[in-house]
Amino acid sequence: MDEGKEKKSEKGRFGISRRNFLRLSKDVFVAIGAGGALTHIVWAKKGVAAIPVSEGYLVVDIKKCQGCVSCMLACSLVNEGVENLSLARIQILQNSFQNWPDDVSIEQCRQCVDPACVKACPEGALTADPENGHVRRVCKEKCIGCMSCVEACPHPPSRAVWNFQENLAQKCDLCSHAPHWEEKGGPNGKQACVEVCPVGAIQFVAQVPEQEGEDGYKVDLRGPAWGRLGYPVD
Amino acid sequence: MSGYAGKILDIDLTARKIGVIPTRKYEHWVGGHGMGSAIFWDLVEDKSIDGFDPANVVTILTSPLCGTLAPAAASRCEVQGIGVQSYPIGWFTRSNFGGRFSSMLKFAGWDGIVIRGKAEKPVWIDIRNESVEVKDAGTLWGLDTWTAQKKIWREVMSGQDFSRWMRLGSRDDASRTTQKPAVLAIGPAGENLSRMACLIHDASNAAGQGGFGAVWGSKNLKAISVIGTGSIKVQNPKALMNARLWQKKNYAYNLKDTDNIASGTVFQSPPIPGVLWGYPTGSWRPKEGQRPQACVGCHSGCRARFASGLGNEATCYATVFYIGARKPEIQRKASDLINQYGLNAHEMLYCLLYLNSLRMKRILGAGRDIDCPLPFKDYGKENFVEQFVKMVAYRNDGLGNPHPFGDDIAEGTIRAAKKWGRLDEDLASGLLPFPFWGLPVHKEPVGQLEWGYGTLLGDRDINEHDFDWMKWDATSAKMSGGEPMVPAEELVRIYTDKMAPFQGDRLMLDYSAENMYSEHIAKLVTWHRYYTRFWKQSAMFCDWRWPDFLNLRAPGKIGSTGEAEPKFLQAVTGKEISFLDGMELGRKIWNLDHAIWTLQGRHRDMVHFAEYIYTKKSKMVEAPVLFLPGRKNGKWDYCNMLGRRMEKEKFEGFKTRFYTLQGWDTKSGYPKRSTLEALGLSYIADELESHGKLGQA
Repeated sequence: MDEGKEKKSEKGRFGISRRNFLRLSKDVFVAIGAGGALTHIVWAKKGVAAIPVSEGYLVVDIKKCQGCVSCMLACSLVNEGVENLSLARIQILQNSFQNWPDDVSIEQCRQCVDPACVKACPEGALTADPENGHVRRVCKEKCIGCMSCVEACPHPPSRAVWNFQENLAQKCDLCSHAPHWEEKGGPNGKQACVEVCPVGAIQFVAQVPEQEGEDGYKVDLRGPAWGRLGYPVD
Repeated sequence: MSGYAGKILDIDLTARKIGVIPTRKYEHWVGGHGMGSAIFWDLVEDKSIDGFDPANVVTILTSPLCGTLAPAAASRCEVQGIGVQSYPIGWFTRSNFGGRFSSMLKFAGWDGIVIRGKAEKPVWIDIRNESVEVKDAGTLWGLDTWTAQKKIWREVMSGQDFSRWMRLGSRDDASRTTQKPAVLAIGPAGENLSRMACLIHDASNAAGQGGFGAVWGSKNLKAISVIGTGSIKVQNPKALMNARLWQKKNYAYNLKDTDNIASGTVFQSPPIPGVLWGYPTGSWRPKEGQRPQACVGCHSGCRARFASGLGNEATCYATVFYIGARKPEIQRKASDLINQYGLNAHEMLYCLLYLNSLRMKRILGAGRDIDCPLPFKDYGKENFVEQFVKMVAYRNDGLGNPHPFGDDIAEGTIRAAKKWGRLDEDLASGLLPFPFWGLPVHKEPVGQLEWGYGTLLGDRDINEHDFDWMKWDATSAKMSGGEPMVPAEELVRIYTDKMAPFQGDRLMLDYSAENMYSEHIAKLVTWHRYYTRFWKQSAMFCDWRWPDFLNLRAPGKIGSTGEAEPKFLQAVTGKEISFLDGMELGRKIWNLDHAIWTLQGRHRDMVHFAEYIYTKKSKMVEAPVLFLPGRKNGKWDYCNMLGRRMEKEKFEGFKTRFYTLQGWDTKSGYPKRSTLEALGLSYIADELESHGKLGQA
């Protein structure tokens, strides 16, 4: 039976109307309820296993960021125990000579609903970790350093980071396994970059951001207090 | 060696050779300035050489905190060597800049760079992790600093896409980065040996003082580029992260805590750009789209980038340099010009004011006694400032034609005044407000005593704002009829309680005329020298956010200085250096520097302000009053410290008290053997003695 066709004619197997479905790929649909909360995942093609969505995401405000890279320093510190921008799982790109707002961009892992990195991993090392709210996470013990995830990430610069010191991949897992920090991480805990960001340009959210384009992940985190400092608020 | 890369890059430009100095050899100086002075001492045999001599050594040093999460302590970089800006002697001096350079150097595996000799032709240095090459700069020489940096970015990253991970190396598994190389460069001003030339990194990080741009130019060094993908080891990552978050929670700005927001050159300031466009008559802070912009690791940026791109990252003097600009856009464009051509904004501002003063006296102008090709009828317009900047950078008329005036000015304001036969007269009248060592005034020296004395007893305009915020707060409160943050007595108590080893001496902050030559003020100046030499210029706590004396967010308004600095240093390095240990190291560094100045020719008799400081009542261009703490009839208040002069004989008394406190010979100002030996510097005493410059016991 063609499940896709079936949904056109009825209110849907799960009682959700068609317009509330968001198609992510030919294989995966998600259902968005009121207020944008994810309610269900369905799959159209038989035999394709659903990848549970992450229970947490980072959203950022690229008009607010002060380019201090404290987030990158915090990330490599709590995860690797050293300071190294190249090992940070969040990246700040900037250009002193460019005009605002194009002078800075924050490139965080999107914890994609349809994660290309997870699907690319031939070893099952990169998974939606069920013990940590399904964050997309590399198990370093299983990773063979094939770089498939690094190449698969459709969002440059790749959010699957090549750790050239260990010859392994690594990626943002919302600090669910940050050995050099005393705080509990993961979707039910804290994230080092969020805590350290001096201007509040990074925020944790539990709701799935809009997956098409950038608007779901690059948001407005400013507000009247920011405006009182003389900065623009949208 | 936690916090350190372990190696200092040693470049001999004459032989075009790359060497390595192990950091361990100088580790006891901790970093930055202390290391730089020690390396200079060892590598330069004849300390009395001129700054343009190829034997001059320039050091560029980081600290173990660079590239870490230490707040407002992770990005500064200390440049030292014999300068060419001060007069009559180009003192062994320092300059400092922020941005991305020092951290990137650490990531590349280097704690610093030592530059020796002189290249035969223009070169630039290409550092990619451990790989270092001295390359021909034929196609870079002549470019402004911004164009040169962007060109180097493209070359170093081999044209890779900046929006993606870029490999350093050809292998797929090579190390990679998304960051652009950090480049430090000179512009045309440095290439043409203008004594006001500076070093520029990114849009507006400048090592402004000392004429290091010209020193590099004399060495045929155009730029140093560094890209690094390595790691900085941190002794205790958890402690560092905890310390950072604790500092943020308890001492940094909080936009929700609106009662206690205070902005300025202090730790708790919110990230408002320190721009002075429109100063002093008003504020021309742009109203267009903008973001704060911060150096690496800083908890509160002090610059901004704008939708128009005009004046990106510029602050302070770089913004107010063209003070006569008719429109905001012109003043911002002037900031960009001065950064692109690589010139020290501080002296360029005062140079222009001086030229204008001479013009108004009809001494200077086209065809006048001092023939000047600047079109003063266009003063305030863009073409004027463009011609002025190019004139100084190219030593011509600013329009591409030879003219001796350009040459005069490129030699610096003091030397120009001397050439025109006006030096003594204009220093006596104050028409040339250059109070010390041929360098322009910054803060009013007879009022802000630690600034005036510290500059004269040192090597350059100190540019250290530790005691400046209290002046701004008190002065603006008094002028507007408001109230200062705290009463004077409370402020004095909070500050002086933190000024170990002289803690508790309240009179250190009594700026009144009755106290201005006292031993208490000598202690203020001494504390300031030691704290800045170690905690700020060696450990790299940034001048615009440290020390944290008074903090409105903290219990009792008592800031974190004394506790915070050692905490961060220990978390990164594991070194148990107490605040007092750091002050003692500062004393050691200060003595080393003074020994170098002594060998350069410093003697007590030459330590004098320009004549007008002794004869004219003090005033300021920017405001009619200057409020600082002082005692009147035994009671503390903020008092106006303008309208007085420095009395020469009493100043001599102050010098004696200051030298006594340092343990120097009061007749000559030379260091004494006992002082140096107690600091573990007997080799320095030996050297001074061999030159007949050791102080008598």
